[in-house]
Amino acid sequence: MNAWLPKSVAGRRWLGLAPSYFVIGIFMLAPMVIMAVFSFLEPNPYGGVKPEGSMAAYVKLFFEYDLEDKLVFNPGYINIIFRSFQLSLGATLACLAFGFPVAYYITLQPENKRNFYIFLITIPFWTNLLIRTFAWIIILGRGGVIETPLLAAGIIEDSLRMMYTDGAIAIGLTYSYLPLMVLPIYASLEKLDFRLLEAASDLYASRLEVMTRVVIPLCKPGIIAGSILVFIPCLGAFIAPNLLGGGKKLMLGSLVQFQFASARNWPFGAALSMLLLAVVVVVLIFYARAAKKQAAIAGGS
Amino acid sequence: MITCNGGKMTTAIDIRGVTKTYNPGSNRPVKALDNVSLAINDNEFFTLLGPSGCGKTTLLRLIAGFEQVSGGEIMLFDDEIENLEPNQRPVNTVFQHYALFPHMTVAANVAFGLERLKKPRSEIEATVERVLTLVKMKHLGDRRPNQLSGGQQQRVALARALAPSPKVLLLDEPLSALDLKLRQAMREELKQLQKETGITFVFVTHDQEEALAMSDRIAVMSDGEVQQIGGPTDIYEHPVNRFVADFIGDTNFLDCEIVSIRDDLVTCRIGRENLFEVENTGGHTVGDQVTLFLRPEKISLSALDTKNGPDTRPGKVANIVYLGNQTAYTVDMGDGIELVAQARPREDGKLPFAFGEQVAVGFSTRALRMLAQ
Amino acid sequence: MSDQEHALSAPNKGKKVLPVGHYRGLGAWTVFFFVFLYLPIVVLVFYSFNANRTVMSWGGFGIEWYLKAFENDGIQKAVWNTLIVATVSTIFSTAIATIGALVLARGGNFRGKTISLGLITLPLMVPEIVTAVAVLIFFSAIGMNWGLGNVIIAHITFCIPFAFMPIRARLEGMDTSYEQAARDLYASEWETFRFVTAPLLMPGIVAGAMLAFVISMDDFIITLMVGGAGSTTLPVYIYSMIRRGLTPEINAVCTVLLFVSVAIVTAYWVVSKKSQTDTVH
Repeated sequence: MNAWLPKSVAGRRWLGLAPSYFVIGIFMLAPMVIMAVFSFLEPNPYGGVKPEGSMAAYVKLFFEYDLEDKLVFNPGYINIIFRSFQLSLGATLACLAFGFPVAYYITLQPENKRNFYIFLITIPFWTNLLIRTFAWIIILGRGGVIETPLLAAGIIEDSLRMMYTDGAIAIGLTYSYLPLMVLPIYASLEKLDFRLLEAASDLYASRLEVMTRVVIPLCKPGIIAGSILVFIPCLGAFIAPNLLGGGKKLMLGSLVQFQFASARNWPFGAALSMLLLAVVVVVLIFYARAAKKQAAIAGGS
Repeated sequence: MITCNGGKMTTAIDIRGVTKTYNPGSNRPVKALDNVSLAINDNEFFTLLGPSGCGKTTLLRLIAGFEQVSGGEIMLFDDEIENLEPNQRPVNTVFQHYALFPHMTVAANVAFGLERLKKPRSEIEATVERVLTLVKMKHLGDRRPNQLSGGQQQRVALARALAPSPKVLLLDEPLSALDLKLRQAMREELKQLQKETGITFVFVTHDQEEALAMSDRIAVMSDGEVQQIGGPTDIYEHPVNRFVADFIGDTNFLDCEIVSIRDDLVTCRIGRENLFEVENTGGHTVGDQVTLFLRPEKISLSALDTKNGPDTRPGKVANIVYLGNQTAYTVDMGDGIELVAQARPREDGKLPFAFGEQVAVGFSTRALRMLAQ
Repeated sequence: MSDQEHALSAPNKGKKVLPVGHYRGLGAWTVFFFVFLYLPIVVLVFYSFNANRTVMSWGGFGIEWYLKAFENDGIQKAVWNTLIVATVSTIFSTAIATIGALVLARGGNFRGKTISLGLITLPLMVPEIVTAVAVLIFFSAIGMNWGLGNVIIAHITFCIPFAFMPIRARLEGMDTSYEQAARDLYASEWETFRFVTAPLLMPGIVAGAMLAFVISMDDFIITLMVGGAGSTTLPVYIYSMIRRGLTPEINAVCTVLLFVSVAIVTAYWVVSKKSQTDTVH
């Protein structure tokens, strides 16, 4: 027996968990608390903050000071936030529409093939996001993979100007997080009892009804989980808007980075991060409730 | 429902030369059904019986439409259905593990088929109530399947399949997941339900007792082929071959040689002097090797004494298996013959014979039958 | 019945009926999906062998951009930084995750188990940019400036859940009866761990370490925010190259990084597949 181990079970548990608590507590949880505090401070024009309490960062989300130093409504940031939600939602729906049939198709395959398909889906996910997004510049860009043959064939006469558009960002986001949609949907489809499909068909459900009445309701947890896994990183995305949107079409994530790298308004960056965090918390609470409800249905069977 | 059509039975399902091959064209094709033909009458409780892998479930799934035939035709009354999708066939299935939709209540499960058939709301509600009452589940209509016991789920599955009033109800080993007592109770109920509704039941099982207890007719299947079709007593008393005799009930087989044939009696011999007389079914010649079979319950055992009749032979108890309501004795008859016989326990609960005891073994000529092959 | 009557009573005759649950076009859709998923990667690799100076116009096959990239001092420095950061954070995060997973998977039920699980997986749930901002603010607030050390600490933190998940999955898939059998055969607690739990857990630990390594190696946004001038890693360097203008050199560097990731993930897949086959009966 190792003499250094505490004798009590509880003591050993906490000893084992201590490093995790220490690292994540100090370098993740504590920073988030400090970030929350920073969002209520005055910015220092050279970066960092001045130790003066202020709501300025949150006010800045909605208002700006005009020439006479009066607060006027400024929709600029709200628009960016709104755009971020729009693009994230669009990308999430695109991932769902694109990924669901694939997850379903994989479920129909024999087991050894299924694992291989899943492996193929995970590979791009584990490769560098920056690189994968950069590749889209070569595809979408002026004189890129799509344009060149079209120009050569005379189908188009001028550049399609696909880069630096919302469409380009949406494609980039969809591409970035597509595996995160397919995997949880596949996980829930894999558990689906295919006899239920036969039962539905036996009870006069058409192919479409089998899908809408049985398959989709039963893999709702996977769909919800996938949507959350895609939506959250989309909202905080930095690479796709910066590379494919050219840094002009800002999203929340790039706006946050901008506050620290260029604008030097840390409290405002912290406030924007807090907003992102708030969205995450809301979404996760929604998910926890949905999961609980689903567990009540599926439990025991 | 009227079962007679001009004095003649109406055929509900006519299987004509159906073949099913899995992985056709691959290097390992599996023939699950080989040229199967059988007719199931309307208003009949018909059972497909056989060991696992015999093709009985495949046949049921072909009728339901979950699988497609590789060859042959399936007629439902006068319609050819083998190329229809499951939802286009007016038959319903009770699945082995019920396959109740976990995300719907009991009532919604039962209403599912009616809703797909676009029945009016009022009719759906009335039918759901009627069938749930029929299976004694009306009070649990709001429950979810996972809140029900196995037996209750079974009843809901039954109600769900009956609700759209199918022309034929297919039951895929529906009782196999239930425990013994419940299974026996459900047998009665299923039989009753079939009579009440007048719907043709096609019941798949590997349990011969279940098949004998419930069926009007049974098709015994093995290796993708139908071995025999007949009523329960036909199948039990007059099996056409060794497989059927062996699969249904316990049996003693006697492989022997025909030594003489008279008008109505054939005499067979095993070893030197063990002679057995059996009814002449024709088509045999002296010297043929044949198999006789004898059901254990048709053998009587008695103490070996002077009162033994001329049709008894001596034997020695070689093994005893106590089964409670009866005891199975293996009796060594000499010449390598061992017969299993059943004896009821004595009233005082003691076993009538002891291991190694000499007993008189008696059975009549009529109890002994010759198998075709 | 004549053939015509057959055709009337069986409307689907001649048409192949799909099995229940199958839909037309799924296969084609899946092919399209994989083309979408792999096209960018294929394009990138393809153009990295472009002999032409401009990224997008093809000028014949050549590997000079690889050679050029290897000679680039900035890239060399960035590769070193990346390897140091990934190696150190993998070692620490895997060690921390292993003992955490042992407690959570083998420590029975205890108060605070759910919270502990939530805490360990916290870095997975928070958007990367928020983590980056929080850590940046934290280091600035306490005035800590250890250069590459800051980056390593941030990486250890967010690599813990990635190392944790396969280890925990492995432990939960492992029957406790092996450990009970060892105890029954007179092994002490330590001997049980040393001779039974640890060897069986090894594939999980290896898998966890590989994931942690890939995640650390590929991280961009957190390193960009937290890292100072001297602690540029390869992804950050690539980003600055892209900002300066597209050169085929970027393609070459990206391709190399891509292949390292794919190699590690493939190895991970093989390891986890093997570990599945030798414990699942």
